[in-house]
This record gives sequence, structure tokens and C-alpha cells, in this order.
Amino acid sequence: MKAKKLLNKLKDILSDERQAQLARYSSLKKVLKSLRNEKIRLEMKLAEARNEEDRQEIASRLEIISAQRKKGLQLLKELKKERKNNPD
Amino acid sequence: MLRRSLLPAIFLLLGYGFWASAEFKTVAAGVAIFLFGMLALEEGFKTFTGGTLEKILKASTNRLWKSMAFGVVSTTIMQSSSLVSVITISFLSAGLLELSSAIGIIFGANLGTTTGAWLVAGFGLKVNLSAYAMPMLVFGILLIFQKQKNLKGAGYILTGLGFLFLGIHYMKEGFDSFGQTINLAEYSIAGYPGVFAFAGIGILATVVMQSSHATLILILAALAAQQISYENALALAIGSNVGTTITAIIGSLGSSADGKRLAVAHLVFNVVTGIIAIIGIYQLMEFVGWASAYLGIAAENYTLQLAVFHSVFNLLGIIVMLPLLNWLVKFLERLFTGQPFEVEQPVYLSDATRSMPEAAVEAVRKETVRLYDLAVSVITDGLSIQRDALQSGEKPKQVVKQSSAVIDEDIDTLYETKLKSLYGKIVEFVIHTKGGYTEGRLKEELHELRDAGQHVIEAVKGVKHFKKNLTRSIRSDNVYIRKQYDLLRRLIVRVLREIDTVRSTPEESESILSLDQVKLEVGKKTEKISDGLDDLIRQQHITVPMATSLMNDISYCKEICWDLLEAGATLFSVPDLHEKAAMRSVALDEQEITEMMKSQEQEPSR
Repeated sequence: MKAKKLLNKLKDILSDERQAQLARYSSLKKVLKSLRNEKIRLEMKLAEARNEEDRQEIASRLEIISAQRKKGLQLLKELKKERKNNPD
Repeated sequence: MLRRSLLPAIFLLLGYGFWASAEFKTVAAGVAIFLFGMLALEEGFKTFTGGTLEKILKASTNRLWKSMAFGVVSTTIMQSSSLVSVITISFLSAGLLELSSAIGIIFGANLGTTTGAWLVAGFGLKVNLSAYAMPMLVFGILLIFQKQKNLKGAGYILTGLGFLFLGIHYMKEGFDSFGQTINLAEYSIAGYPGVFAFAGIGILATVVMQSSHATLILILAALAAQQISYENALALAIGSNVGTTITAIIGSLGSSADGKRLAVAHLVFNVVTGIIAIIGIYQLMEFVGWASAYLGIAAENYTLQLAVFHSVFNLLGIIVMLPLLNWLVKFLERLFTGQPFEVEQPVYLSDATRSMPEAAVEAVRKETVRLYDLAVSVITDGLSIQRDALQSGEKPKQVVKQSSAVIDEDIDTLYETKLKSLYGKIVEFVIHTKGGYTEGRLKEELHELRDAGQHVIEAVKGVKHFKKNLTRSIRSDNVYIRKQYDLLRRLIVRVLREIDTVRSTPEESESILSLDQVKLEVGKKTEKISDGLDDLIRQQHITVPMATSLMNDISYCKEICWDLLEAGATLFSVPDLHEKAAMRSVALDEQEITEMMKSQEQEPSR
């Protein structure tokens, strides 16, 4: 098991396609992470907001972020699957 | 100063003339009616310039002699060299005509205009023209009232001819009566002093009346009534020929280089012809006498002899000037170099950058950002948004409030010269670069940037459509329609602001993704404005045509916003290409935004 993992790492380093796949994967993860941080920040802001207009705006933004994250997570899942199915 | 004082001086002189002499009043009224007839005639011919004349012009100007023949024939038919000049200038400016061909037309028009003198001298002064004028006017006016364009045009031509005939009649009457009270022929000056003096008067009269044709008819009428000597009449005709170019020069001052070239060509031709005619006036008189005898014109028929003289000296001018045509064209092209359209040139794109993939992508991005910036200035002008207000940081509502005056910029020209050409250069660069790239990500990025440019262009096109009704609404007294358009303008300002915010934080991916929320907002607000239209019509605050225009403009506004947001998301995204692609894959598309809008409508409490 350990050897297989090491072999995969080596393949990642050597293959251009694998490199690109990896870059896609890590970029998507980064974007999702920043969206999650933004979500947490906005939820805190919503809890503090008193003005109804502001609240609505924050809620709407949160909904957008949820939809974007949902889409992103689905893509991440597909990328993971792709990586698993085509190890080389 | 001279131009300002000229009109009151003419008014005073005419006023004094009317008070002093009833005959003068008749002659002046004849000139006024004649000129009015010319205006109506021009108006009539303009109706028919939508196709036929242009087709003939295109087909008949490929050779110099054809151009000249076109000038002669068209001016003979229309009896207006100025209308022929106007059409020639417009064709020249559009690049459909060479300068040499255009000059050929003008030479021909000079000869064609002399046919007027032939017609009046040979026919007009002998018969009672007013008898023909009256029915022409009646039928003409009846036709003018018709809705059909061609009938209306024919009406103007008929009315124009009617007024021309009536004008000639009054001029003739006036000079005939003059003969019974005063003999103007007593003031004739013999020899060269007379030639110069009367040529000067001819120039002045033509500048004042803005028509050499009218001056010539006046000269013929005076000559027929023996109020001026034959010799002085010839000098007046020479003067009128020169005078007509002065009005053309004044008219061309504000026109393009082509217009100026043609006006100067006209001036050179007529001045040269005038000088030759003045120097050789006595030889020409002899020749005209001989030619008239040959044509069977009586020796005492001075009016027809004047027509012969007019044609002969213009023909002489053509003979002298034709060999100099190429020289004249070169001289005029040097004299007026012409300001080519200030076509926007790319700053970052070059062959050198094309050879380096990363540099090429960055160059295209920077150039497209430039395109965006130029487009924003065109868009703000098109929406009559004050740029200072937009950059002030005030709320969109305040920005629109401060932008209550119409900015009258020609955005069509700006689009053609600045944006379209620059975008064309970007596309060209991308096409030639893309083929040489093997790396998928860079190729994809170039494709995305090209699409961003397309969105920018589409947004400006949308503004071009939107502008028409918007300008009308800003000037309108109807506060309701103004308010609706202000709401739409606010929305576009909000979008521009949001893109600016994203632009200022290029490292934060979530800020780019926040543009999706603006898309949602655009969708909701435009729908709200659409929904409010029924009430506005029902309460008679706006008319149905206003509402239909507004509906179209709401749709334009939505597209403008969407295009700007799409362009902004690509242009001002994070620098890392993989991250950029990841963000694009997470961003919501139009369908997803619409679905979200619908779900929020169903649950408004959210």
C-alpha cells in the first residue's frame, strides 16, 4: 500500500497530464476553501446585522456561495473519481 | 464681425430700396421667389437621391469624360450645381469616388449650369412664364400633401419650377417697369474699369443670393430690359461664376478634407476661368458674335449671346484646366492631408510578444482591459453618466441624480474608431497566436480573453440601442418614464462599481465570485421594473408606446449588465490561470441564476 502511494506520487511528478489534473484539483480546493471562509465571515456578519436591507443582501450572497460551493464540491468529487479511475 | 454686420446692412439697403422704388421691390421679390423655387427644387430632387442618382453616379464616374458628362447632364436636369456638389462630396467622403472624378463632375456641373441661361434667354424671357407657373404651383402643392414619398418629391419639383418661373416673371416685370422711370444703363462703365467693377458686383450679388443661377437670371432680365449694357452683363456673368465658389468655400470650412479639396478645386477652376475671360473678354465677345451668327442668333439678341458667352468661357476653362487636372489633384491632396480617423491602435500587442506564450496571454489581457476601459468611457457617455460622479464613490442613486444632463457624444463613431478596430486587432492577434500554442491552459485563456472582448463590444452595442430612448427620457417632462430609465442607469452604474471593486482586489477569488450576486440583483431589479409597467400604463403615467420601448430597453440593460459582468469576471480575476479556471467552473451560469431567482421569488422571506 505504501509502495503504491509512493508510485502514484512519482507518476504525479513525471506526467504532464497528471500535473495539470493536480493543479486543477488543488486550485478548486483553494477556491472552495476561500468560499468557505467567506461563508463563515458572512454568517457572522448576518448575525450582527440589524438593517433588514443589509440582512437580505447578506442572505442572498450566502445563498449564492452555497450554490457555488455545491457546484464546486461536485466538480471536486468528479476530479477525485477521474484520478482514481485513471491512475496513470 | 463682417458676417454679423452683413445681414443688418443688407436689410437696411433692401428696406431703403423698397421705400424708394416699387420696381426694385418687384425685382427683389422675383429674386426671393426664384431662390425659394431653387430650395423647393433641391428638396424635391433630394427625395430621389436615395438610390437612382447614386446608382447612375457609381456607374458613370469610372472615366473622366463620363464624370464630366454626368456633371453636365445632372446639373442641366436639376438646375442646381450645389445639389450636385453636395452629392459629389458625400460620395467622395465615403471613398466611392476618386478626387479626379469628383473634380470632373464639378467641371461638368459648371458647364451644365450654363444651360439655365440658355433656357431662360431662349424661352423664358419671350413667353409669359407666370401662365405656366400658376398651374404648376397648384398641382405641386397638391402633390406635396400626399403621403407617398415619390409623389411628394415630384410635388416639390413642380412647385420649385413654378416658383422659378414666377420669380423670373417678376424679375422681368420689375426691370420692364424700371425702364419707364429710370435708365440703369446710364451707369454703365465702358472698358476694363467696367469689366472689373461689374465682375465685382457679380461676385457680391452671388455671395449675397447664394446662387449664381439667380444672379444670371437677374442679369438676363436686366439685359432684356436694356437696363445694363451687353459688355457689363458679360462682366457680371464672369463675376457670378467666381462668386458661386466663394459660397462653396464658406460652406466647406467646417467640412472634411475631401469637402475642402473639392471646394478649392471649384474655386481654382472658376477663378482661372474668370481671369481668362476677363483678360480675353473682347476676343471672346468677337468669338461669341461669330458663333451666334453661325447658330443663327440675331446680332441684337444679347440675352442669347450672353448664354453663348457663358457656355463658351466655361468650356474654355475646361479646356485649359483639363491638362492640369493631375497636378491639381496632387496639389490638393498635399494642401489638405486630411485627418484620418483616429483609429485606436493596440499598445501591448506585438509580434515580439507573440513568440512567448505567457507574455502573449498577458499582452492580450492588458489590451482587452484597455478595450474595457475605453468601452466604459463610451458607455458612460452613452448613458449620460458624468464620469466624475461615477468615480466619486457616491451611491449609484446620487451618481444618476447628478447626471441629469444629456451628454451628446457620437458613440457610433467612437465605437467604430476606438473599440471595433481595437477588438479586431485583439482577435487577429489571438487567432495568429492560438495556432502556435500547444499548452491547453494558455490556449483556453486566450479564448476566454477573446470572449471577454466580445462581451465588452456587445455591451457597447447594447448602449447604442439604449441611448436613443434614454436621451429622449432625460429630456422628457414625464417624471415617471424618467424615473424608470434612471433605475436602469443606476443598475448599470452599480455593475460598473462592483467590477471596479473586484478589479481593486485581484488576489481574492471570492470577490470575483461575488459578481454572481450582482447578476442575480440585475435579474431581480429588471424584472421588478418590467412588472411595474402595467400599473404605470393603467394609471396613465406612461403611454403604451413608451412602455414597449421601455420593455426593449430593460432587456438591453440586462444584457449590458450581464456582458459587463462576464467581461469583468475574466479580465479582473486572479492572476493564476488554474485558479482562474477553477473559479470559472464554480461560477453560476445564466440558467442557475434564473433558477435561484425563481426559488427566491417563491420564498420571499429568505
